[in-house]
Amino acid sequence: MWGLKTKLMVLQALLLLALGSPAQKSKKESPILNNITISFENKVGGQLLDMDSVYQNAFGEAFTVTQFKYYISNISFNDAAGKEAKIPDTYFLINQQDSAGKSITISTPLSVITGINFLIGIDSIKNVSGVQTGVLDPLNGMFWTWSTGYIMAKLEAVSPVSKAPQSRVTYHIGGFTAPYNAVKKISLPLGSLLQLHPANISRISISADINKWFSGASDIRIADHNFCMNPGSLSNAIAANYAAMFSIQSISLSK
Amino acid sequence: MRTTLTIALLFTAVVALCSFIKQKAKPRNPGTPVAFVVPKGWPAIKYNLDSNGLTKEGIALGRRLFYDGRLSKDGQFPCASCHQPFAAMANFDHNLSHGFDNQFTTRNAPSLANLAWQTAFHWDGGINHLDAQPLAPITAPNEMAEDIGTLLAKLKKDSLYPSLFRAAFGSKIINTQRMTRALSQFLLTMVSANSKYDKVMRGEDSFILPQKLGYEIFKLKCAACHPEPFFTDFSYRNNGLTLDPVLKDYGRMRITGNSSDSLKFKVPSLRNVYVTYPYMHDGRLTGLYDVLEHYNKKMVVGPTTDSLLQNKIPLSNFEKGQLVAFLVALTDTSFTKDPRFSQPPGVPSSLFCAPGHHLR
Repeated sequence: MWGLKTKLMVLQALLLLALGSPAQKSKKESPILNNITISFENKVGGQLLDMDSVYQNAFGEAFTVTQFKYYISNISFNDAAGKEAKIPDTYFLINQQDSAGKSITISTPLSVITGINFLIGIDSIKNVSGVQTGVLDPLNGMFWTWSTGYIMAKLEAVSPVSKAPQSRVTYHIGGFTAPYNAVKKISLPLGSLLQLHPANISRISISADINKWFSGASDIRIADHNFCMNPGSLSNAIAANYAAMFSIQSISLSK
Repeated sequence: MRTTLTIALLFTAVVALCSFIKQKAKPRNPGTPVAFVVPKGWPAIKYNLDSNGLTKEGIALGRRLFYDGRLSKDGQFPCASCHQPFAAMANFDHNLSHGFDNQFTTRNAPSLANLAWQTAFHWDGGINHLDAQPLAPITAPNEMAEDIGTLLAKLKKDSLYPSLFRAAFGSKIINTQRMTRALSQFLLTMVSANSKYDKVMRGEDSFILPQKLGYEIFKLKCAACHPEPFFTDFSYRNNGLTLDPVLKDYGRMRITGNSSDSLKFKVPSLRNVYVTYPYMHDGRLTGLYDVLEHYNKKMVVGPTTDSLLQNKIPLSNFEKGQLVAFLVALTDTSFTKDPRFSQPPGVPSSLFCAPGHHLR
């Protein structure tokens, strides 16, 4: 009888081993997923970005934006206890010139979230694993072919104070290895609990202020720096500045 | 009861094993698998075949792309215009190569042998994956000068490519990843391990006296940076070449941003060195004797010059002669004449791929 008991225990253990992973998987898949739409509103100061308008940075330098793109990746949400829950395989390219390319819809099993975290840029793994597809395809113009790696964020403008040909301002920010690592993790607390529900669409609107590129941790004057096109200390400084460009603009719940 | 339990146990064990194996299985390319053969005594390759396994169809597609001028803006510059089989996949008799709109490239085109063992590409090591490598010459304005999107559109419109991509990757989808993976498959097959030196090492042949003496001198004076079996340690070093005032090429420093890497370039493999002249990152030295004389006397010791070269490499005329005899024994004619690497049938013939034929 004792032998049977042992055998039953072994059987139970093996069954757990055999079914362990699929069971866990189905457990993970079974909960109801809630959808969240995160939209990015690009701004300069307090104004919505308009590609035809002339703006001024903190140093009074005038500029008109001609291109503004950045990668948002590795999104995670904070749950009610403040613990981070990662959303796997989240890579998005926010492109000012693509009206469809400024909002992201993702699903999470969480029912309450208190904050959102993401990288501005692309993690090092994807920078060293050859050629990717989708938004990470090098044909999106956010990839350095001569020194492998993603351009994490790109701001191009024209400014009368730029000494470059055609008064251009070209900031291509990248680098994923120390000491020139431009990947920044952004953590934005929502300030309140956002209750998710499968019947509703929750929306988080995040604003990105271009003027933060020029000032903050370092002063970046267009007159001094009209281009940055490789990993380095200037790229690091601009990335440290723009890490502060995001803020939660609004949170809404609609049926 | 006992039998039922045993059967149940066995069944459970099999299920457990199956689920374990299933988790380990990785997606493979469809088509006819081609085994990658590592030459005897060589280390394992660095390229990860798990994500891009070699197939007959993938290699054939890569070969076609390699010879197709449409990968360049004006149709005149296939990969093969600067990487020719008879020059061991370097550019025959060109210090710098020619690219779009009569422009020179800025560096000497290297041999493409044994890329499977390399983890960084370009003379400055700026490319960190073989799949990403072709994008550099394709998009460089003075080389193939093409836009990736435009290039893919050309391939999609072609009558043949969609079916070739389907054969290699399972569907007609043509994207950057598939194009570069096909090119990698073709490039990975370029293994050079059958020179006279290799035959001697395998005991199938023997050196003549000058080669034998040259090999001994080589091991003493050159092998620290050019170790066997690749005849490079894949490091970046300043070997005493002064800055070219026109090219202003600081090498590795451009990638790392570190001034201690100024004027450092990748140590090139010496396999097939006899047929890959001219030499150095900008092709400034014409023949093997020029190279040896560079190390013997002409090199300039600067702040970042390699510690092994602080006293240059003194070489007598006798030693130079024996060294050249040995270096010639690194020529692998089964590689330079391998029909698998030649222009595939059906690809429009390109003037640039013919021996000794000058571009334009």
